[in-house]
Amino acid sequence: MQGRRNFLKLSAGAAVGSLAATLPSTVQANTCHEINWDETFDVIIIGSGFAGLSAAINLKRSGIKSVLVLEKMMQFGGNSAINGGWFAVPKNPIQLSQGILDDSPEELVNDQVTAGRGMASKEHLQAIANHALDSYHLCVDSGVKFREGFNMLVGGHNKARAIRTVDGTGGEITRNLYQVAKNEGGDLRLQQYVEDFVMDGNRIIGLKVRSGFRYPNLSTGEITHIKTNKVVIATGGFAMNKQLCNLLDPSIDPTMDCTNAKGATGEVTLTAMSHGAMPVHMNMIQTGHWGSPDEGGFGWSNALLSITFHEGMIASVLDGNRFMNERLDRKYCSDRILAQRNPDNTPAYPIAFFNYNDYPNDDRVVRALRDEMAWKVDSIEELAAKFDVDASALKASITLHNKHVENREDPLFGRLMDTAKHLTPPFVVSRIWPKVHYCMGGLKTDVDGRVIGSKNLAPLPNLYAIGEATGGVHGVNRLSSCACLEGLAGGFIVSKTINTDMEV
Amino acid sequence: MKTFIAALTLLISISSTVYAGDLITAKGKTLGRDNHSFIYEEKDACKTCHVNAKKNTNDAACVECHGTISTIDIDTSRLVNAHANPHKSVHYGEAISCIACHAEHKVKAPLCSECHRTWFKEM
Ligand SMILES: Cc1cc2nc3c(=O)[nH]c(=O)nc-3n(C[C@H](O)[C@H](O)[C@H](O)COP(=O)(O)OP(=O)(O)OC[C@H]3O[C@@H](n4cnc5c(N)ncnc54)[C@H](O)[C@@H]3O)c2cc1C
Repeated sequence: MQGRRNFLKLSAGAAVGSLAATLPSTVQANTCHEINWDETFDVIIIGSGFAGLSAAINLKRSGIKSVLVLEKMMQFGGNSAINGGWFAVPKNPIQLSQGILDDSPEELVNDQVTAGRGMASKEHLQAIANHALDSYHLCVDSGVKFREGFNMLVGGHNKARAIRTVDGTGGEITRNLYQVAKNEGGDLRLQQYVEDFVMDGNRIIGLKVRSGFRYPNLSTGEITHIKTNKVVIATGGFAMNKQLCNLLDPSIDPTMDCTNAKGATGEVTLTAMSHGAMPVHMNMIQTGHWGSPDEGGFGWSNALLSITFHEGMIASVLDGNRFMNERLDRKYCSDRILAQRNPDNTPAYPIAFFNYNDYPNDDRVVRALRDEMAWKVDSIEELAAKFDVDASALKASITLHNKHVENREDPLFGRLMDTAKHLTPPFVVSRIWPKVHYCMGGLKTDVDGRVIGSKNLAPLPNLYAIGEATGGVHGVNRLSSCACLEGLAGGFIVSKTINTDMEV
Repeated sequence: MKTFIAALTLLISISSTVYAGDLITAKGKTLGRDNHSFIYEEKDACKTCHVNAKKNTNDAACVECHGTISTIDIDTSRLVNAHANPHKSVHYGEAISCIACHAEHKVKAPLCSECHRTWFKEM
């Protein structure tokens, strides 16, 4: 395809993004420009997480000849590869074997709509949930292993429907889907930084790509132009783009770390906006309340706290008291944890603990202690001393909690006490502080994955978006285990849409 | 190139396991890995990895000599725990480039250490 020429009136704006300042000037707006296309593909997918890989496999299986996946980093998988491996699947076989027979995609959507506080798109959620079982089977057929007999009730869901990969990470899914996509003829490439779109009016006709890019240096690699009929944006969120997050939501506290992979900087979302795509809910940036200040990224904290939230308690180091319902969703909990401050406004990291003797050999405990993001303490005094809490206040607060456990009722915060345990040392204790985690906002699409243009609220021809790069799906709050589903299902949806659009 | 490969094959067969070489002054001001010093002795040394002599490289040259992430054995006795084997990562498997973790001209912290803080050191 080398040397194929096109003479077109182009309107390619300057590339944008957090690193834009370091970029050399790109194709000028509205100049008559001759593009020397280096290659041509039927469909190009930008990004190689759940969404990109599922799209690649589904598009290949639908008979599309040439499918290219461009990934800017030196590894495939994005946030999906480091994710916690929780996956909401109504009617999954493990759920059925547990005797839960009354779940359905509609039930899941109802939970999500509630969590979305009126801002979710029921239509999008339903379209996604309808592909939950397809997505599950795509995984299993690709060699993904899920934990046997494991199907959990997770925050905000009214039914146990979250399964989990055997290794506890979405990497189990992405590395298997990567192999399948490759084996089935997808062309998947690393170090390909999509810098700009090549537009013909409001129609995308190709991509300007920095090929051989070495993160994070934007002067590396060489510019190539790739021609295509369809572009799928599967570039995930922008939680790692501090500048953008701060512009959108000044309440995002500088004390907060971020769980995401470094590549989650959102420049393709911004590029799409610069070419007329409509963003929605950009300021709805989710923080995970289950972060630990004592480890990097996502780490073990979430898994460890899956015990604490049910069986243990979380106390303020300021007065030793509980200050929230540990079982509620992340928005509620984040707000309350972030309010825990020392007089000088530095974080007063709350302590979260449960009975060590109930889990001495549990993987979640063993590795947390090993990697020193949690500690074993043998008495309440030791706990108090370690975190500089008033020992008698802490003791009183634990005694009070134990009374509530006995009565199976929490008069303080209305926590569901069915799984709560009487607390006696030794304890496993970790600290807790929210991290920036997920972007509910992104590009507005129609229910079939076509990116909506802001000029006339109609789809921009040939441009699609799926996964976390999209916005307006979940509303105010995405429920856990639903992003995995969203990405994988998006691949099914967009493949169908692209095939429909190609026939027209 | 062929001679490099022959030399390297020899090296590999002498030492039973391969690990990242030490960073030394390889040529002029350029730092490089001591196990690559034979490369720096060649005239077009840079082109071994920077094939187009551009500011641009991938891991093709690494793989050509050393093999893939799946075929390169690492000394597991040096790992902090059994999960910390970066060549058998549950996150990436084969879906990762060598240069995500290894650098030729500078020390680099492997990708894993972004989250697993206590597992790895800069190499
Ligand atoms: C630590 C962590 C744990 C999580 N745990 C769970 C969980 O257990 N269950 C759940 O449902 N959800 C979870 N989530 C959320 C979920 O993992 C993400 O929302 C989901 O992985 C997003 O998938 P995606 O395919 O849309 O994007 P990603 O997986 O992020 O992939 C996007 C890719 O696009 C690439 N890209 C970006 N810009 C460019 C560019 N300019 N050029 C080329 N490529 C580019 C990125 O490098 C990245 O590889 C978790 C998230 C994190 C961060």
